[in-house]
Amino acid sequence: MVLYKQELKSNLKGFLIWFLVIVGMCFGCILLYSSVESSLSDMGDIFAKMGVMSKAFGMDRLSVATMAGYFATEIAMLHALGGGMFAAILGSNLLCKEEFGHTIEYLAVLPLSRAAVLVQKYLAMVSMLLCFQVIGILCYLGGFAIMGEKISAEHLWTMGVTQFLMMLEIGTICYCVSAFSRKNRMGAGLGIAMIFFAMDILCRVIPAIEDSKYVTPFYYCNATDIFTDVKLSAASIVIAAGVIIISLILTVWHYLRKDLQ
Amino acid sequence: MGKYAIEIKNLTKNYGKNRGVTNLSMAVEEGDVYGFLGPNGAGKSTTIRSMLGLARYQEGEITLLGMNAREHQVEILRQVGYMPSEAWFYPEMKVKDAIRYAADVRKLDCRTESEMLCERLQLDVNKKVEELSLGNRKKVSIVCAMQHKPALFIFDEPTSGLDPLMQAEFFKLVMEYNAKGTTCFLSSHVLSEIKKYCRHASIIREGKLIRTDTVENLTKTNAKHVRLVRDGIEEDFIYRGNLNELLRDLAGHDVSDVVIEEPELEEVFMHFYEEEITK
Repeated sequence: MVLYKQELKSNLKGFLIWFLVIVGMCFGCILLYSSVESSLSDMGDIFAKMGVMSKAFGMDRLSVATMAGYFATEIAMLHALGGGMFAAILGSNLLCKEEFGHTIEYLAVLPLSRAAVLVQKYLAMVSMLLCFQVIGILCYLGGFAIMGEKISAEHLWTMGVTQFLMMLEIGTICYCVSAFSRKNRMGAGLGIAMIFFAMDILCRVIPAIEDSKYVTPFYYCNATDIFTDVKLSAASIVIAAGVIIISLILTVWHYLRKDLQ
Repeated sequence: MGKYAIEIKNLTKNYGKNRGVTNLSMAVEEGDVYGFLGPNGAGKSTTIRSMLGLARYQEGEITLLGMNAREHQVEILRQVGYMPSEAWFYPEMKVKDAIRYAADVRKLDCRTESEMLCERLQLDVNKKVEELSLGNRKKVSIVCAMQHKPALFIFDEPTSGLDPLMQAEFFKLVMEYNAKGTTCFLSSHVLSEIKKYCRHASIIREGKLIRTDTVENLTKTNAKHVRLVRDGIEEDFIYRGNLNELLRDLAGHDVSDVVIEEPELEEVFMHFYEEEITK
């Protein structure tokens, strides 16, 4: 697992930057709750009556004036978007960086099969996404404890697990993109994450495209749905698993056959 | 005839519609120092990349160290020391990290050998690789290729970027390993280093092998690049006749300057190429 360790090491700086920015911002927002609580209680009703905007962000079901509502509609969304973008950047760079960085001749002539390269790099990505989620959720639990606020740990961990699945799905799609490319595909990765995010908001307010909720991974990890006990869509989870498996099959199929240069 | 360290049969590798190599066959005996000559774009790197599994070839069969290159790639790479024409490493690594990483993947402790190599190549192991010049990156690459004492060296344009002193040290190391049994296959477009160090060589041009022979036979063209000023007139030509005759001819003239040197590789190629066409 030498390559696995090397990948963790080389991506550590990026991980720390994304983690500190996203989780740090979310953690700060939790700590700020008491100071904005009074103004939020005045705004709660206004936010709930903004028509499609309220529907899109779930503020018609959860009041931002409560800690759970404030967390689910604001903080968790920020965490999901940041996590999705981090997964996209990570996945879209993992394989093709060896070719555009010209390090492929250093790596590919070491006694490692291409399959081993794929497995170790993918595991490194999964590990980083897992750390992002687990440490992030623990930080939020710590934040709630500091603030003396009670929030359902079950809801929080459900959110954490589904968001991890979302990050894994986006990361795996981008990993596949990375296998097919010889150029830096960070832009494409970010584009994929942003399109999925926009799709989640739009499918909630435009009935004509409601079915796209099965396509976007941001739908099944929506914190407002989780905190209002909306049943997790089994179809969405099955589709997510299918997308991950198909992306991995395509990645392996192409990477084992391609010319590395 | 000994066993072959490298055996290539009818290798064909194209990149889409672009030509790589066509129907190439060659064999390198164990313990040989073998030169692979050709101009840029001739197919040298494609051949090497096919041998190492970087390029997936369409036709042919490659056997390295008695093992099929497709089926036993990992085992082959374990016993091969490869040096690419342009050496790149992960920028966040220090020289010592890049060297140790290559040893760690092989699950070997190569510290004694790598320390010896770094000392002889005057390599500062505490520098970050992103700060290194091409020459110093090549030195790191040499250490990575040699530290595990492989059975086969494959070098792609090994001396480009190295200063003459380091080139000499590099070949000294190659010869020392060769004396201990390591086969060396090196691609180059520098005729003089092939002439000086290799016993056999192949010449490749436009993806096809033109000729394979001992270096002695290949360079027996008598061709010399002559530049002179005769009777006040500058002349520049390739001379393929008897040198004594040339000197006798020059003796009857007022020669103010004369340089007789090895022809450029391209000029030697033309010789073989013309032969190929007339066949």
